[in-house]
Amino acid sequence: MNATVEAAENRRVKIEVKDLTKSFGNLLVLDDISFNVAQGEFLSIVGPTGCGKTTFLNALSKLIPTTKGNIFIDGEEANPKKHNISFVFQEPTCMPWRTVRDNVAYGMEVKGFSKARLEERLRYILDLVGLTTTADLYPNQVSSSMEQRIAVARAFAVDPDLLLMDEPYGQLDVKLRYYLEDELVSLWKALKSTVIFVTHNIEEAVYVAERILVLSNKPTKIKAEVKVDLPRPRSLIDPKFVEIRKQVTELIRWW
Amino acid sequence: MAYEQVKVETPLVLRILPVASILLFFGVWQAVVELKIVPNTMLGSPTQVMALFWEKLFEANPDGAVLTTHAYISIIEAFTGFFLSLIVGVPLGLLMGWFALAEGLARPIFELIRPIPPVAWIPLTIFWFGIGIPGKVFIIWLSGIVPCVINSYVGVRMTSPTLIQMARTYGATDWDIFKKICIPSALPMVFGAMTISQAYCWTTLVGAEYLAADQGLGYLITMGRRLAMPTMVLLGMICVGLTGVAIGIIIERIEKRLLAGIRR
Ligand SMILES: Nc1ncnc2c1ncn2[C@@H]1O[C@H](COP(=O)(O)OP(=O)(O)OP(=O)(O)O)[C@@H](O)[C@H]1O
Ligand SMILES: [Mg+2]
Repeated sequence: MNATVEAAENRRVKIEVKDLTKSFGNLLVLDDISFNVAQGEFLSIVGPTGCGKTTFLNALSKLIPTTKGNIFIDGEEANPKKHNISFVFQEPTCMPWRTVRDNVAYGMEVKGFSKARLEERLRYILDLVGLTTTADLYPNQVSSSMEQRIAVARAFAVDPDLLLMDEPYGQLDVKLRYYLEDELVSLWKALKSTVIFVTHNIEEAVYVAERILVLSNKPTKIKAEVKVDLPRPRSLIDPKFVEIRKQVTELIRWW
Repeated sequence: MAYEQVKVETPLVLRILPVASILLFFGVWQAVVELKIVPNTMLGSPTQVMALFWEKLFEANPDGAVLTTHAYISIIEAFTGFFLSLIVGVPLGLLMGWFALAEGLARPIFELIRPIPPVAWIPLTIFWFGIGIPGKVFIIWLSGIVPCVINSYVGVRMTSPTLIQMARTYGATDWDIFKKICIPSALPMVFGAMTISQAYCWTTLVGAEYLAADQGLGYLITMGRRLAMPTMVLLGMICVGLTGVAIGIIIERIEKRLLAGIRR
């Protein structure tokens, strides 16, 4: 493992999810889920379609109320007004009336960053994700894969306590996805954010994550936990990589 | 990058056709009057209307004001009413679209008043304001405010829910979201309201002036009837039409400018 990234178990607990339960009427979707996420950890969550992955992230980010249980960030109940939670949605979320630059700045504006800090951070992030040259264009003038990068840049820009990503690259072609996954990993390394990354794609999960939680069908529980202790940059054909991928696939064979 | 506008040549026939159609219309109209198919007491000919147009540019009688004064008064009334309906209607509609409190308070009253045609207010208006400009501005305001409220309301309602969720995850307050997400997203609809509202205002103006005025283009039409001068009625009608078209074109230009500023 990369020398700068400490092993997850030695790091401080950042996020605690305790007895998280969510039902819609009679439909029990999340059934008493508990787990911890370490400071700066990159956690992937994979699970079958409709098992409640989006519901799970919505509950974590407090977009919807939970039926039971709670989420703690640094020991305090999660609160979007107090904590820095960022959410990258499955669909692009660019504001068409703002330039790329102003779209990336939006999160920092809401968080009340000072003008100087915002400008400085904006320059840094735009450079990091390679959006500097397109910063003054409008979203409809850039490709839709760019739109997702804008959302990712906006999410990292606020220096989030917790970054939630809901299949952000699900709609992209393979080549671009590889490219953006690499970009995501290097952003995560540079900014040391805590990331929860939801995906359908097992290969993607193994490629980016330090640890993978495999969810069951509804009512959803954590079926298994898989550590991905591989050096980066990872190779898709490294035997160890293939082994872990197979292991996860085995766990969710009944998809 | 900016897309190139594709230019399609309009065939010659299609360009000539509108001109031909208008020429034909006026030709038939002239013929109908000249050949006395319709008596002159019921309809003036285009040339008679043109002659009266020239005369009325300088001659105040018999109705008391020159044509430009009538037009000026009408335009002032329409625009005052129009601007007041924008100033009140747009914020009201925007707030109703986002804040349940605003919607709960304003919507029932709005729905109650909306189906009443603005001209039905004329008698009450005469009691309250007399026949001067304020009364007409009031009626015009009533008709113009409806599309402003509806479009702004719908515009806010159509805001992408994902954008709102995105803002919420960053901890934005309701007011933040309203200001930075809902309003910009509703702007195209709001600008659309300008065109519709302007047209409503102008239409109502004539109704208002027809019943209660001593100046204005609508009044010119009334006087034409009272004096049994069909040519004057026609002159009034044509002036109302042309001025309306001119205002419409100006507003549309402004709208396009404003829209280009926020959406590329
Ligand atoms: N607001 C709601 N009301 C009722 N049921 C809901 C609601 N939201 C989600 N559900 C149900 O909860 C379950 C989980 O939905 P969710 O969208 O979280 O799944 P998902 O794992 O994200 O699926 P996908 O992989 O397709 O994105 C589904 O069966 C869905 O029908
Ligand atoms: Mg989902």
